Amino acid sequence: MASRKSRRKTEVFGFVASVVALAVVATLTAGGAGAGPQGAAAVPRSQTLYTSGKQWGPYTNFNPLKPDYNTGVVGLVYETLFRYDPLKDKFIPWLATGGKWVGRNYVVTVRKGVKWSDGKALTAADVKFTFETQKNTGAQYGTMWKTGLSRITTRGRTVTFHFRGVPNYQEWDSNRYTVPIVPRHIFKAYSATELVSGNASNTRRIVGTGPFAYGGGAGGSQTLQWNRRANWWATKAIGMRMPMKHIVDIHNTSNTASLQNFLQNRIDLSNNFFPGINRHVGGRVGTYYKRAPYMLAANTAWLVPNLTKRPLNDVTFRRALAESIDINRIVVADYQRIVSKANPTGLLPNWNRWVNQAQAKSLGFNFSTSRARNRLSQAGYRDRNGDGFVEDKDGSTINLRLIVPKGWSDWETAIQIIADSAKDAGIKITPAYPDFNGLVDERNTGKFELVINNEKQIGNTAYTYYDYLFRLPILASQTAANFQRFSSPQAWALTQQLNKVPSTSVARAKRIHSQIQRVILTQLPAIPLWYNGMWAQYNTTHWTNFPTSGGNQATPSTWNGYINMTGIDALAKLRPR
Amino acid sequence: MSRYLARKLSIYLLTFFVAASIDWAIPRLMPGDPINGLIARIQADPTAAQEMHGYYTESFGLDEPLWRQYLNFWLGLAHGDLGPSIAYVGSSVSDLIRAAIPYTLALLIPAIVLSYIAGNRVGALAARRKVLDNTALPVAYVLTATPYMWLALVLAYFLAFRWEIFPISGAYDFALQPAWTWEFARSFLEHWFLPFLTLFLVSFGGWAIGMRNLIIYELEADYANYLQALGAPNRLVRKYAYRNAVLPQMSGLALALGVIVGGALVTEIVFGYPGVGTLIITAITNRDYFLLQGIFLFIIIGVLIANFLVDIAYVIVDPRTRTGLQGS
Repeated sequence: MASRKSRRKTEVFGFVASVVALAVVATLTAGGAGAGPQGAAAVPRSQTLYTSGKQWGPYTNFNPLKPDYNTGVVGLVYETLFRYDPLKDKFIPWLATGGKWVGRNYVVTVRKGVKWSDGKALTAADVKFTFETQKNTGAQYGTMWKTGLSRITTRGRTVTFHFRGVPNYQEWDSNRYTVPIVPRHIFKAYSATELVSGNASNTRRIVGTGPFAYGGGAGGSQTLQWNRRANWWATKAIGMRMPMKHIVDIHNTSNTASLQNFLQNRIDLSNNFFPGINRHVGGRVGTYYKRAPYMLAANTAWLVPNLTKRPLNDVTFRRALAESIDINRIVVADYQRIVSKANPTGLLPNWNRWVNQAQAKSLGFNFSTSRARNRLSQAGYRDRNGDGFVEDKDGSTINLRLIVPKGWSDWETAIQIIADSAKDAGIKITPAYPDFNGLVDERNTGKFELVINNEKQIGNTAYTYYDYLFRLPILASQTAANFQRFSSPQAWALTQQLNKVPSTSVARAKRIHSQIQRVILTQLPAIPLWYNGMWAQYNTTHWTNFPTSGGNQATPSTWNGYINMTGIDALAKLRPR
Repeated sequence: MSRYLARKLSIYLLTFFVAASIDWAIPRLMPGDPINGLIARIQADPTAAQEMHGYYTESFGLDEPLWRQYLNFWLGLAHGDLGPSIAYVGSSVSDLIRAAIPYTLALLIPAIVLSYIAGNRVGALAARRKVLDNTALPVAYVLTATPYMWLALVLAYFLAFRWEIFPISGAYDFALQPAWTWEFARSFLEHWFLPFLTLFLVSFGGWAIGMRNLIIYELEADYANYLQALGAPNRLVRKYAYRNAVLPQMSGLALALGVIVGGALVTEIVFGYPGVGTLIITAITNRDYFLLQGIFLFIIIGVLIANFLVDIAYVIVDPRTRTGLQGS
């Protein structure tokens, strides 16, 4: 009897064990496909920097020429001709040793001694090839070919970009530090479609000039590992060396999970949004500023009104609306001061030298419920039915629907505060939270009334902000700019004029900036609210010397487009504890 | 037997056709243009954005009339092609699902099988032991009524965050890449345990209650009384009661599969487990028609296959079905 029982037990145990084993085997088999060449061993903690906050989907895209590439593809692997330091407003020669305008041509000298990770030398032909791939339909940086760039020629290490007419200097400056140079000998095998929308994900063909090479992880793997490369050109050329042997980027699942991992010392540099992180700052948790606003500014959050709808088409009403919003309350109550209030021009702090501050002060709006009330009343917006909210001039009720994407909790709170403070001035706003795609649909097709938007990021020129506000013509579907549908040929002409001014012509550029800012301040095509942060939290348990306002000033972010600003400097200056 | 199977199979095929058609239609009924969402997320510059919109709409075949898209869906399916992902441009839906599916199966299969076995055993024991009935049963009631997500959060909070016994998220240590090593296997099991436990506990409660009630019912049945009257040992009576009680539990398993799959999806999200659950959220938020329909298709096929297996098992386990099939 006993033996039967024990046999039975063994059978059950065997069955259970085999189910578990099967599950493990199934996972290992599939996971093995994404494993890297050195996937077998755990990377040593002391030599590894763990990052997070950029990657929200699987690590599928290794194509630097396609938007939304995996963390580090541009910056760690593929590099740009220049980098741009937004904190010091200067370009840093990178794969190019220099560049200058010769008449209407831009001439670049490609750095000598730069080798691709497969040992081949970087040549002028690589640069020419890279920029020419952008002629393909749907290419990310294709605008330059449509707005003046006509051809590219090479001679030795010199590359000349020929422009028709006056070049769009401001736009071109962006291309100088955002277009990643790819190896012609590898990428010429890709078709136009593959170049534009393919993944270039054969991990043996990830060949860059940067300090890191592919180490492991792809597709559904939860991390992407980059391994330090020997013989990175910058070590010899400028003495820059990467202190970490590996960078392991962790795929985000939620900000909460990231925060827990961060607090348990599993993440060193987190570029996630952590509400309430200010309470943890000090000790082993660091941020760029020791005090509010803690973070550098990355973009402006605008309140975008639909100008095709009443009463938002009335500039007086817009001004009253702007004055009714207690932005400080959003900064303090919603963000606990990890963001700061935006300049009334909406321009980021790194563009301060282009802001006509006196004009901004005299024409900019300020929070004042009473002023907003008076303004509304004088313009004929009065509360006729005694419900506490003003009616339109014709007596019809006003109830503005303000939308933000569902789940963006900080913005959800912000619009509740906006609705609440607008209420005091008699403006009725109803917050609503459609999901992201639903919001984009409303916004692009012009069905919305009010929306918060922050699409334009920090960069070399405020031109991108003006373009975002004033771009004409207005189409049935606005995909990337002028969602408010502000029709001012004068403002759009000024914007285009600015694009054709080199940044070196400071006085001329300032004059145009000032004129454009006057339109923003007086017409309020969109209402600047606060600066969203370049979210960056440092856990200094394993690595120290992260960027701070006190010294070592750099962009502490692994978001796309930030490593090729001064993110790479931030990484190079880290020290193991 | 073969006629029975053929009939079942044809019903399954019809179900599959209808379910797959609904699966194709539902994502397209959601408001919002996926390409606009895609362009908004990549924050392309305005000039490029206009062109990209046309390029991507065309490359995903979304410019074609709906009937054509529906036809393309079946044509693709016939070739085993689930289409391209919109959220992850350049990746095929098949590849994305293939990468995620093992993680989900690694949770689901052990959780379903083990909770079924353990739940039935404990339920059967509880039916005849007063102490167990008074202690285990209330726990089982609480467990089965617990939402997966809530239990997952509670387990994560205490076992991972407060006491740090288990890792809080992911499927393996960040320092590792998937590989055939003991180190990886150990790390995998550590990370696997909490999401598994969540699924296991909730399902376990349901099976235990079901089995306990069935056994009590069976023990009061005429055949059980008759056997006892004949002087058959209690063990034998219980054995027969258990065998009879297993049958409705088996039908219950087929019915419960959909619920457990749903539970696995939310549990994965809580634990940041890189399975299909995480993928499905991305697919929904990005209006990724192809990815969404691909995942649902996988779930449909999975549930149908599991039901089919249960049908076959039923024939094997229940002699009456066999006799019925033979026409006697």
